[in-house]
Amino acid sequence: MVNFTLTSTTAISASQPLAASELAHAVGADTAWVVQLVEVGILRIETAEAPPERWEFSSTDLQCALEARRLERDFGVNLDAAALILDLQHEVRRLKAALHAHGLR
Amino acid sequence: MEFKDYYSALGIDRTASDDEVRKAYRKLARKYHPDVSTEADAEQRMRDINEAKDVLGDKEKRAAYDALADRVARGGSPEGDFRPPPGWDEGFEFHRGPRQGPADHADFSDFFSSLFGEAERRGAARQNFRARGEDHHAAIEIALEDALNGAEREITLRAQTIDAQGHPQWNNRTLSVKIPPGVHPGQFIRLAGQGMPGHGGEPPGDLYLEVRIAPHKLYRVEERDLYMTLPVTPTEAALGAQVQVPTPTGGVVEVTVPRNARSGLKLRLKGRGLAGKTPGDLYLLIEVAVPPADSDDARKAYEQLAQATSSFNPRQHLGV
Repeated sequence: MVNFTLTSTTAISASQPLAASELAHAVGADTAWVVQLVEVGILRIETAEAPPERWEFSSTDLQCALEARRLERDFGVNLDAAALILDLQHEVRRLKAALHAHGLR
Repeated sequence: MEFKDYYSALGIDRTASDDEVRKAYRKLARKYHPDVSTEADAEQRMRDINEAKDVLGDKEKRAAYDALADRVARGGSPEGDFRPPPGWDEGFEFHRGPRQGPADHADFSDFFSSLFGEAERRGAARQNFRARGEDHHAAIEIALEDALNGAEREITLRAQTIDAQGHPQWNNRTLSVKIPPGVHPGQFIRLAGQGMPGHGGEPPGDLYLEVRIAPHKLYRVEERDLYMTLPVTPTEAALGAQVQVPTPTGGVVEVTVPRNARSGLKLRLKGRGLAGKTPGDLYLLIEVAVPPADSDDARKAYEQLAQATSSFNPRQHLGV
């Protein structure tokens, strides 16, 4: 067994966001695909008028992009349909969390 | 290592067409999707069917797998002791392009990795393919206390190499991961350079660890908010009270239970959840705990209460 200690870890957050190119690489896509996600509203950018090189993404954005990529790859859905599926999926999770919070599940 | 039957994983015959493979996969992927499945082993089943689809959905991999299955059937490899024979993939070429989606196959079985992991890398090398390694995704489960205070945790990753005889073998490497304080479920921790190896001399990818919080005996975590059930006596609920409540950071705070509180009432302690730019809140869910009538005094007290509140009917809304 080889032991190796790592010191540089980064928690993806508002102060340490991902760039569009980093988000694209993390999901096995290219920056043009990330731009499409912004266009269909799967990813929301506060400064959408700024060029993609200046966009910043959070952990939630990475999770959304991963899910969209899998829907596209595994089910062949287009990004508009993926956006709707993800909205419904998040609503289901929010409602399940609300049930949990009230001790109903 | 066990030889995996990808056809039975997808519930199809070996003669299945590409379209039948795709349909079978999509049907099972819907059945075992974590948001809809109630099966206990849904996560493992999803991994299995993803792995089977990755192989059977790719013409080259499927042909190589079929040829290997025939060879194994002829050679009678002992059950549970499968090792791919050297050169088993000669004549086939597998490679992942740089734009094929997240590298989910990093989570596939040892069987898959020993067959296709190294072969994909060799295929890329033969093509003079140059690209930074793919980013790898995994999850790390930590205790709530570690999320609040930060911690250092060790994780073990597997890396595959080929020995002098051409056999794939596994090496484990242990990484010490610093968990910064204030991480929340769903947040990603990025470990630079710890993803898949690069192709053609390019640098490796990164490793993204998705944070999961282990179940806690007192608190339940929803994003940055924490929920705790707060039991109170009927007297405290009816008359109001000051009660002591433990906080996740180890302290104790005094909380006011309002008069006429009912079970299910939610009290919010602002900013007492997980830290962040906008810190989460701690919610206390009131639960009225009824003292047992196990003594004469207790029974008498209940009877007096019944007399004093004789007009109260908790079943009025039922029409009785």
